[in-house]
Amino acid sequence: MRDHKDFNSKIYTVSELNSKIRTKLESSYSDIWLEGEVSNFYFQDKKHMYFDLKDENSKVRVVMFHRNNRDLLFEIEEGLHIIVNGYVSVYEKRGEYQLIALDARPVGRGSLILAFEHLKKKLEKKGYFERIHKKRIPIMPGKIGVATSSGGAVIRDIISVLKRRFENFHLVLRDVNVQGITSADEICSAIDDLIEYGVDVIIVARGGGSLEDLWAFNTEILADKIFNCPVPVISAVGHETDYTISDFVADRRAATPSVAGEIVILNKIEVLEDLKEINNKIKNLLKSKIRKYSREVDFLINRRIFVKPEIILLRFSQDTDDVRTRLRENLRRVIAAKTQSLFECSRGMDEKKLFKKVYTFRMEVENKNIAMVSNIKNYIMSRKNGLKMILKNLQDTNPIAVLLRGFALIYEEKADKNIKDINEVKINQKVRIILRNGMLKANIFDKIYKKLDLGFKNED
Amino acid sequence: MKIEKMSFEQSMEKLEEIVKELENENISLEESMEKFEMGIKLSSNCLKKLNEAESKIEKLTRTKNGKLVAGELDLEEEK
Repeated sequence: MRDHKDFNSKIYTVSELNSKIRTKLESSYSDIWLEGEVSNFYFQDKKHMYFDLKDENSKVRVVMFHRNNRDLLFEIEEGLHIIVNGYVSVYEKRGEYQLIALDARPVGRGSLILAFEHLKKKLEKKGYFERIHKKRIPIMPGKIGVATSSGGAVIRDIISVLKRRFENFHLVLRDVNVQGITSADEICSAIDDLIEYGVDVIIVARGGGSLEDLWAFNTEILADKIFNCPVPVISAVGHETDYTISDFVADRRAATPSVAGEIVILNKIEVLEDLKEINNKIKNLLKSKIRKYSREVDFLINRRIFVKPEIILLRFSQDTDDVRTRLRENLRRVIAAKTQSLFECSRGMDEKKLFKKVYTFRMEVENKNIAMVSNIKNYIMSRKNGLKMILKNLQDTNPIAVLLRGFALIYEEKADKNIKDINEVKINQKVRIILRNGMLKANIFDKIYKKLDLGFKNED
Repeated sequence: MKIEKMSFEQSMEKLEEIVKELENENISLEESMEKFEMGIKLSSNCLKKLNEAESKIEKLTRTKNGKLVAGELDLEEEK
């Protein structure tokens, strides 16, 4: 064995070597991008990430500390293809070199889809896509906010659709970059600005592009912003077949920016048509209601009580008969009872005195009877007259009902004097005849006397 | 709520309600007249709201000192 002193060279301690190499590596590889597939992923206490990046032949240890990984726009997981930015360092305890990652991004369609699915699942679990959180899009918003690029065709498409549907709309554009690393942040602050300005609805829009181009709309920060936005949000990203996270979180997804223009405001011409239709409808409803009620009035006017009011009398006279029978029966019973008690009392009394007393009583009763009968007669007469008056009033005050039944009223030509008697007019006198729907002017050319039987007799 | 104060949507909803109420066989003539009158007022309010909106296309920007400014959007100027 050769003594190490034979060599005229420096002897390092292990620590020294590791430290030297660390300095060397850190200065040579201070800011690099490294691409590879994630394996052996370990997320210590959900804080620091430890994993390998590998290709077909080789692998490198990577560490990503909490302060660097907490702002990642996607979740790193096993098998994901990513690029990582950072510097190379040495873990001196083990003498292993590793990459300290400061930033990471998914690469390639496969990885993006994986990251997309991952975020989608996560937000779904948090309830971000549920129907109960969806706000209603106003049909006629006062101010329409749009967050998109002022350069592209998107804003022109939206404006031209709006012009076609509703010429007097109010649109507010907040210009943003719709792709690139700052895009998600820009769209978020655009939403804030539009809310502050006071719009009634917000459209976040972008034209079609690759999954990478659309990435801002698949980020968690934008999803959070849309979910917490107090104003309804319409997401209109890409073509009909493109789905983004913002489409799921938004209150409404529009397949394309043009469709967003259709969703965000009603079609004025269509609504004007609707209004016209509603107006006609309520007019017709009222008309048919009036027709229905006038039919009912006709029916009522033709009821027996109005055509033949004397039937009221018949009913009353029946009542009167009934009362009279009851009165007579009661009287008979009272008299029988009194006669009986009188008989009891008369025993052992002076006959002469008794007869005298009976005689005076009888006289008294006779007189009272006469007074009573005449009272009752008077009462009945007055009630009868009252009823007759009511009946007459009923007929007199309802001339229209009479006219409706086909009778006519005749008046003198000028004066408002109603002609009731043939003797009130002369031959060749001019008169007016009032019918249910108008007036006739007529000349009397003959008079024929004849008493008419009107069924209900006027006993004037 | 006064009809003039109602939004377009509220007026439209109320109008549909009124049509339904008028379609009900059992409401009285007086009620029908009231509903009808209200319906006519509501539909003219809708019409007014449709036409009174201002026609404007603006661009919102935030200045360096953090102020929010809305100016006219001139799409020809943009690329």
